[in-house]
Amino acid sequence: MRSSLKIEQSPRIKEIIFILTRMRENPLSIVGLAIVISFAIIAISAHILAPPVYGRDPYIIPRSGYYPEPQPPSPEHPFGTTQGQYDLYYGIIWGTRAAYRIGVLVVAASAVIGIAVGSLAGYYKGFVDEILMRITDIILAFPSLILAMALVVAFGPGLDSITLALILVGWPGYARLVRGEFLRISAEDFVEAAKAIGSSDLRVIIRHILPNAIFPLLVYASLDIGSIILVAAALSFLGLGPPEGYADWGQLISLSRNWITGTSTNPFAYWHVYTIPGLFLFLFVMGWNLLGDALRDALDPMLRRR
Amino acid sequence: MSNIVLTRDLVKYFPVKSGVFGKKVGEVKAVDRVTINIRKEETLGLVGESGCGKTTLAKTIIRLYKPDYGQILFDPEGKIPENPPYEGKNSFIDLAKVRGAELRKLRRFMQIVYQNPTTSLNPRMLVKDIVAEPLIVQGICKGAEAEEKVLEILERVGLGKEHLYRYPHEFSGGQRQRIAIARALITNPSFVILDEPTSSVDVSVRASLLELFKELQKKMNLTYLFISHDLSIIEAISDRIAVMYLGKVVELAENKEIFSNPLHPYTQALFSAIPIPNPESKRKRILLPGEPPSPVNPPTGCRFHPRCIYAMDICKNTEPKLQKVGSEHLVACHLY
Amino acid sequence: MSDTSLNLDEQLKVKDLVVRFYTYEGIVKAVEKASLKLRKGETLGIVGETGSGKSVTALTIIALTPSPGKVEDGKILLRKSDDSIIDILKMSEAQLLKIRGREISMIFQEPNAALDPVCRVGEQIAEAILAHRRMEMIKKSIELIEDEKKNGRHDVWTALEMWAYREMLNNSSKTILKILLKLPIIRNTIKRKLNHAVRQEIIELLRLMEIPDPERVIDAYPHELSGGMQQRIVIAIALACSPLLLIADEPTTNLDVTVQAQILDLINRLKEKFGSSIIYITHDMGVIAEISDRVAVMYAGSVVEVAYVKELFRNPLHPYTKGLLESIPRPGTPLKSIPGNVPNLVNPPSGCRFHPRCAYMMEKCKEVVPRLIEVSKDHYVACLLYGGGE
Repeated sequence: MRSSLKIEQSPRIKEIIFILTRMRENPLSIVGLAIVISFAIIAISAHILAPPVYGRDPYIIPRSGYYPEPQPPSPEHPFGTTQGQYDLYYGIIWGTRAAYRIGVLVVAASAVIGIAVGSLAGYYKGFVDEILMRITDIILAFPSLILAMALVVAFGPGLDSITLALILVGWPGYARLVRGEFLRISAEDFVEAAKAIGSSDLRVIIRHILPNAIFPLLVYASLDIGSIILVAAALSFLGLGPPEGYADWGQLISLSRNWITGTSTNPFAYWHVYTIPGLFLFLFVMGWNLLGDALRDALDPMLRRR
Repeated sequence: MSNIVLTRDLVKYFPVKSGVFGKKVGEVKAVDRVTINIRKEETLGLVGESGCGKTTLAKTIIRLYKPDYGQILFDPEGKIPENPPYEGKNSFIDLAKVRGAELRKLRRFMQIVYQNPTTSLNPRMLVKDIVAEPLIVQGICKGAEAEEKVLEILERVGLGKEHLYRYPHEFSGGQRQRIAIARALITNPSFVILDEPTSSVDVSVRASLLELFKELQKKMNLTYLFISHDLSIIEAISDRIAVMYLGKVVELAENKEIFSNPLHPYTQALFSAIPIPNPESKRKRILLPGEPPSPVNPPTGCRFHPRCIYAMDICKNTEPKLQKVGSEHLVACHLY
Repeated sequence: MSDTSLNLDEQLKVKDLVVRFYTYEGIVKAVEKASLKLRKGETLGIVGETGSGKSVTALTIIALTPSPGKVEDGKILLRKSDDSIIDILKMSEAQLLKIRGREISMIFQEPNAALDPVCRVGEQIAEAILAHRRMEMIKKSIELIEDEKKNGRHDVWTALEMWAYREMLNNSSKTILKILLKLPIIRNTIKRKLNHAVRQEIIELLRLMEIPDPERVIDAYPHELSGGMQQRIVIAIALACSPLLLIADEPTTNLDVTVQAQILDLINRLKEKFGSSIIYITHDMGVIAEISDRVAVMYAGSVVEVAYVKELFRNPLHPYTKGLLESIPRPGTPLKSIPGNVPNLVNPPSGCRFHPRCAYMMEKCKEVVPRLIEVSKDHYVACLLYGGGE
């Protein structure tokens, strides 16, 4: 006997609609959402927008020649070319996909590790908490960029190393957050009630506490993606990232290093080489920041009201 | 006379930590050697003020806390006699010693309904999941079969099919409490602790909840431990009543007996302090001097002696034992 | 209840108060044309359950309606200590600051929410005293200094203090006074007598509240005191300036029964001593019976019955009042409750808001909102069974 349910009545849909309505009250949040979705569309349709060369790794930017001086935008290169005649447009489009890939991968992995560590620390408290938190503290004691750099150097430069390094540097933040939420929530009656029914610890953690702890995590994650991408770009710029010619915004900015000053007569002669990747980077991070802020504002009073 | 629960010298202290290293500097003697029995299918009312340990006692019996000393004999079929053997082959389950998976399996027979229905229900779970949870956790059934049982128990507590797919915050206080009751009863427990279940609910709805408790008790053969600070509710529902003060049971008697003839001075003061909903009654009130002392440093001897108008010398030195005075009436007081 | 001024014996009149809350789920019509009268020196008990609007009404009387609430209509007339009559809803915030704490005081349900956890208890009482009785305290300080002078204790510091107090008494705004009061050590020396006078006043007040060992309590932090003691401190703060009207919103609900008995006793004796009128809000009929002279019963935002307490218990007229009294568990009688639930105030029932739960409902009840009319001497009901239709 299954109870049937109409879509309008489904409580989860009602919740999502509620969140969206609250976000609508803040126009900036719409902007953020729009930016994020646009970038997602670009990333998904990279194959269509910038068809890769057959047989090659699509992330390697095609180059039309080896002439070092970047060429301004033209009909065949809508954004122009950068040092070494790499097509900037192609680099940007596939760089979007790379950005999403790094961002989502790092955030997801950090979150999973952070949830695992934080939930155990916050649920069991005592000795377990002490040990796990000391490990977290040690990692947090290092300046994150420098630690990431050191790790990337140890792993060898490349996008995968950056991803791994950022995960290792990023999970303590999530762990702390989750631990705090777990400490707060496990004091509530319904957690004790779940134990009184005979739930195992694992079940209590996953089924009962975690769904209540997830909201601050969502906010933190969306704000974090922006900074992950920035750090990844910084590491690329410093030369620790993927090899030259790889479609990655940080790499593209790195290629523009020699051309920032322009020529003796025109300081902005090569503006497209750094401005365009920089602009995309800026918009991407801005979009996620706005989204994260809007999510936090929308979710906070909802939690309080419940 | 057969019992479902029998505690012997049950003790639960909470450590008080202080200082940089969290050294234990004292103990909150929340439950201090309580020996009490709960009979099969009766409602034992437990009264006392804040800090007396009634909630701690209840939660210790049901093993939400681990006792520091003492036994908790438990038999879902209610066959524990008045003075069961301490050890031996025909001894009963001692909850104080059970642990882990074995304890978890026993939980289906003993359940609890909390005071505040808002915090005792997971705000992010649907009603159907909340009520089905015990079935799934105890491995009784799942899926469609579980949903059938959920519907059945919801109907018994006065809710319906339309309430399955909603979140707790969409209901009123009384309805949430019914959901909590449904969750507690779905595994067909023998013993249920009701921890002030009507305190957070509107006055006009309380009576209907009490009616529900009585009806369910008959239909499902339940044994209740009913905790409340509201004496009129205790009177309406209990068969026997136990009065606690500062971690000890000071009086235990049948309902009618204890109200017509309270023996312990604290019980007398407690009963007289309740405001009577009748403006014309002129009742002489016993106003207790001072405040209830802290359970970290309880007074020596009889714990009530500093506030007792009948205090004698012996009360300061020796703790009175809970003794029989009359056929079903137990008091712990040197006056008797 | 249809004039716009107060009779000589009336302290407060609330007339046709309408308060609405603008929330995401809609407009909550929390208080819908509620009317109350309070006589001088009388205790009015307001009894009602969740959603009755009693707390919102109480907060609105002191002009602290919580947001997102808005007062849409109505008058709240108060007789001040100088016998002038004002409408609270028309006062500016500056005027209200002088009224709160002085003419009307309020005590709440949670004493530890009303007390600042980082300030000592004595400081909090001092704040109340200095806010409204500053001149009186300064005069007292001057008297204290003059006493000291007579006893021969006389130095440059006392002269300085005397000068400072005289200036403050005249409300002078001399810059040198302002500067001196800002310098750290000088400031304390100047205020020494003032602090002493205030401290004595506080100790008197604590004795009145029957707080044992006031010298020690005055320097304690709120968390060092028990719930009953904290509530006494809250009452002390409320009564520090002898207000004419004290509003108590369920002050004993969270306290133990024996402590509640002590506090109710205390409130009754203080009322005699200070001569205040009290509005006491609760859902406990037993407390109502003990402490009220007159009772107003509220349901879903309106006042449905008002009478003297004995009359109300002997002869309840409104079906809701009857239901409330019957739902009190009594030995021997079966338990009764009122069927149904408190209504949703975003879409309240039409006409009389109680009609869906009423055993005596008639067709008219769905359409007409009954008005509060006097059915017998000083006994008012809002129910179509007794008239009161349009």
